[in-house]
Amino acid sequence: MVETVISALYGGFLVSLKIFVLTLLGALPLGLVIAFGSMSRLKPVAFLTRGFVWIVRGSPLMLQLLVIFYGPGLLFGWNIWGGSDSGRLIAALTAFILNYACYFSEIYRGGIEGVPQGQREAGQVLGMTRSQIFFRVTLLQLIKRILPPISNEVITLVKDTSLARVILVYELMWEGQRFIKSEGIIWPLFFTGVFYLVFTGLLTILFRRLEKRLDYFTV
Amino acid sequence: MPECLAVIGSSGSGKTTLLRCLNFLETPDEGTVCLNGQLLYDAAKQKEYSENAIRSMRMNFGLVFQNFNLFRQYTALQNVTLAPLLAAKASKASGEELDAIRKKGIALLKRVGLENKLESYPHQLSGGQQQRVAIARALALEPAILCFDEPTSALDPELTGEVLKVIRSLRAQDTTMIIVTHEIRFARDIADYVIFMDDGAIIEEGSPEQVIDAPSNPRTVRFLERYAEM
Amino acid sequence: MKTTMKLIALLLALGMAVCVFAGCGKNDASSDSAYVQDKGTLVIGITDFAPMDYQENGKWVGFDADMAAAFAASLGVKAEFVEIEWETKTMELNDKNIDCVWNGMTLTDDVKNAMETSKPYFNNAQVVVVKSGVAAQYQDADSIRDLAFVVEAGSAGAEELDALGISYKEAATQADALMEVAAGASEACVIDLLMAYAMIGEGTSYPDLTYTVKLNSEVYGVGFRKGSDLAAKLNDFFAAAYKDGSMIEIAEKYGVLDSMIAQ
Repeated sequence: MVETVISALYGGFLVSLKIFVLTLLGALPLGLVIAFGSMSRLKPVAFLTRGFVWIVRGSPLMLQLLVIFYGPGLLFGWNIWGGSDSGRLIAALTAFILNYACYFSEIYRGGIEGVPQGQREAGQVLGMTRSQIFFRVTLLQLIKRILPPISNEVITLVKDTSLARVILVYELMWEGQRFIKSEGIIWPLFFTGVFYLVFTGLLTILFRRLEKRLDYFTV
Repeated sequence: MPECLAVIGSSGSGKTTLLRCLNFLETPDEGTVCLNGQLLYDAAKQKEYSENAIRSMRMNFGLVFQNFNLFRQYTALQNVTLAPLLAAKASKASGEELDAIRKKGIALLKRVGLENKLESYPHQLSGGQQQRVAIARALALEPAILCFDEPTSALDPELTGEVLKVIRSLRAQDTTMIIVTHEIRFARDIADYVIFMDDGAIIEEGSPEQVIDAPSNPRTVRFLERYAEM
Repeated sequence: MKTTMKLIALLLALGMAVCVFAGCGKNDASSDSAYVQDKGTLVIGITDFAPMDYQENGKWVGFDADMAAAFAASLGVKAEFVEIEWETKTMELNDKNIDCVWNGMTLTDDVKNAMETSKPYFNNAQVVVVKSGVAAQYQDADSIRDLAFVVEAGSAGAEELDALGISYKEAATQADALMEVAAGASEACVIDLLMAYAMIGEGTSYPDLTYTVKLNSEVYGVGFRKGSDLAAKLNDFFAAAYKDGSMIEIAEKYGVLDSMIAQ
């Protein structure tokens, strides 16, 4: 029994891990694009981007999953995702990436605006080019500033992957829960906690190391 | 012949803006920038200057900021050598040339009395030490004119001395400089020429003896009286 | 809400586990009616399941709710309705958080083994739900084999599909399964006939869905703690209520008379 449960949970964990990794790969760069959009000097671009960020940050991720996956089918009779496992995963990733990119964009924006203007000006008067200033001066300070809030979001993402079950993506939490119905045993549900805790524990250590490596200077 | 120009005036009178225009951190709406009698920049044509053109014009001037603005993630030596090394690498300089830049950086820090702080990060240095690194950093690019924007006003009083001493020694080595300052006594000491600014305009100019000791404009008189009371 | 309920149910279940080990779970089954009459309330475990148990103006009503209230009155006790997590109903019962499960419960072998059950009082069926436009193609058990099914995990519908060897995706609830079909993410689902009456077809949220094949008919009963004497008392009560017409009256009130079983 224990082996059955562990291997089922492990299977679910791999799905959770897939959502986690692919979401970060998509959302970290997309967040930068959205951050630049919301800081754009073109008023309509900034306005639309900020509106989008407001909608995404202002509504529950679970609702976004339901709207993205079921919305087209319910509203227009046109289910764009298909009912297969991969179609569901892609729909889930779409929702996760959009959601997390918006959160990341606000962190990036705060980080970029937080680097003192004087640092850029010092680079300018020394004749450095725009890209030299960004990559040699601003970037590392930016990373140091955003690392703590980013690590927060990343750890939240680990737990948020469990929301994918509302569109029948069978991740860790679902696998734990189904044993209640199928076998009448509860402990697998609680045992999912071990997976989450170990994983977030590793991430916490990783982020602490990263932060430590940037400890040699202050911003 | 190298000169030292001091710019005085109350806060908000436009002294700093004047320096920032020289360094193209602000875009002047009108007027020109001339260097050694040559026209460098004409505000009437401001749209015609490319980013690169502005950058090469900037290289004629160095600027030491009120708040030092040292790059936080670099050591004192790295702060001094970063820009010259980047420029040298861009023009595919040889290893020896890069070495020379590093040696020069060390020499510059020695000149401002920080030879044993080469590997210190800005947060490990006092304000006065940071400002001396900033001066060395500005000197590394060998600007025609070195500008100081109130170089001691962010410092505790006991730390201003070491910075003023460095500026004095540069003056003694014939560096051409423009100093925006609140330290009237220092300006009087060091400057060949003084201008007094008020409300964005130059109200009075001349030798320190004329402007500071015997001002003719009533606004200059009032400013200096207020300063004497402090 | 759902998650909160689940959490509470789980905590209760955990508490129960502790109780069993501590030996506080023993009760004399023969005195279950005395136990209920002693404390003066009959605690009825339900879920929101129209037309059997649902809320109207903050009060639980429905065919099951009204009958349960009448049964409690016949015992001389107050009826108290408690929403439970359906999967953990047996644990709730054994832990005495509730005294009976009275919620359109299908009398499966599992249920009959785990609880003391009443006589069947209601007919239900598991029905296949598809979009109205394609319903004509799926009118018999053979035609539905290749449909992409979704059913509530662990439900009677899932058991039917298992028996037929048809594969399916699992959803958390019957309502979720219906949404899958409505959105076109799955082609068909299997739900209770009663639920189908209430939720699909004209005048509901899913006017474009309809049911076709009945996979299995089943009967509903009420569950008490194993060995409880209340099951027999309820059978007597059903017989009496059927005889005096009050049971028929309540069934008519909720439009379910056709499914009611004569007592």
